[in-house]
Amino acid sequence: MSVELAILTGVLMGIVFGFALEKGRVFEPGVIVGQMQLSNFIMLKVFLTAIATGSLALAALTGFEIVTLHPKATFYAADVIGGGLLGVGIALAGACPGTVLAQAGAGYRDALFTLAGGLAGAFVYSIARPAIEPVLLAEGPGKITFADVSGVAFPVLAVGLAAVVAVVLFALEQREAWARELSRSGVPAAA
Amino acid sequence: MSILTAKAWSPYAAGVVIGLLQVPAFILIDTALGTSSAYVTVSGALGQSFLPSLAENDYIAKHVAYTAKNMWQLALVIGIALGAFLSVRLAGTGRKAISPIWEKALGTSSPAARFALAFAGGFIMLLGARLADGCTSGHGLSGVAQLAVSSTIAVAAMFGGGILTANLFLRRI
Repeated sequence: MSVELAILTGVLMGIVFGFALEKGRVFEPGVIVGQMQLSNFIMLKVFLTAIATGSLALAALTGFEIVTLHPKATFYAADVIGGGLLGVGIALAGACPGTVLAQAGAGYRDALFTLAGGLAGAFVYSIARPAIEPVLLAEGPGKITFADVSGVAFPVLAVGLAAVVAVVLFALEQREAWARELSRSGVPAAA
Repeated sequence: MSILTAKAWSPYAAGVVIGLLQVPAFILIDTALGTSSAYVTVSGALGQSFLPSLAENDYIAKHVAYTAKNMWQLALVIGIALGAFLSVRLAGTGRKAISPIWEKALGTSSPAARFALAFAGGFIMLLGARLADGCTSGHGLSGVAQLAVSSTIAVAAMFGGGILTANLFLRRI
């Protein structure tokens, strides 16, 4: 695909992504911080539904050999430290690297500072990368998935994951209905 | 009511729409959904225009290259802002400049305090995302859906770091 067509595809997909993030309220600082304080589970409901949907779609697409998977390489220390820092930043920013763009689009002024901080953080990492690489990104088991580790075919495991997620989502919805969670979280709710 | 002008969708409807975006990402671009690489693309390009010596940084060079994947992800994040803007306009659900939760969470209504924390949060967030090689989208949505070992570890650490920080350093919202 030409770069120009890829850009057009990206913008269109991004509009759908941003629209869904806004409508689902998962981009709200109150929803993200509320999730991390375990007082509101809207974020997990959107996140897990998207994972299960993606998992089922990829089960079909890989099952029919239309696409191949692109798992990221495993580096235990980098994944734990990097993931932990990502979480610390998400709590303080009240945003993720993707949802901060939705916040900016919806009119939150502080999102521009989160974005600027994010660009600075990515830049500092890029500069430090040559020093980090031999320490944290030198040795690892590679681009492994639980399908590789277990020997079970990916589509089978993916359907299993979606089934487990469905049970968790059912339990979360029983705990508190999404409409109630939205109405008490101080954000525009349904209807 | 039309789904486009509705004030909110159920989290399940939003999740299905987001999850289905993996289909065009894999089929058309041969990649998974992700957003944090675009921060290297933008900051690297900006940095290179001030510091020509950065051309020797392979990591930046890889991300600023004019390739379909790099430009697709940059377009994707710009599209996210456009999509949220459209959604808010269609529903008429404008927001305040700063979410009211921050006054509760920080114990101050000072915009300067919030802006400083937002910058610091953004900085730590991308430092971590780049070290882990993925964010809530790349590791979270895409990596876990692919049952990647790296992503499962990174997402567990992400929620661990987020839950600790939100409970130890922020007040209850």
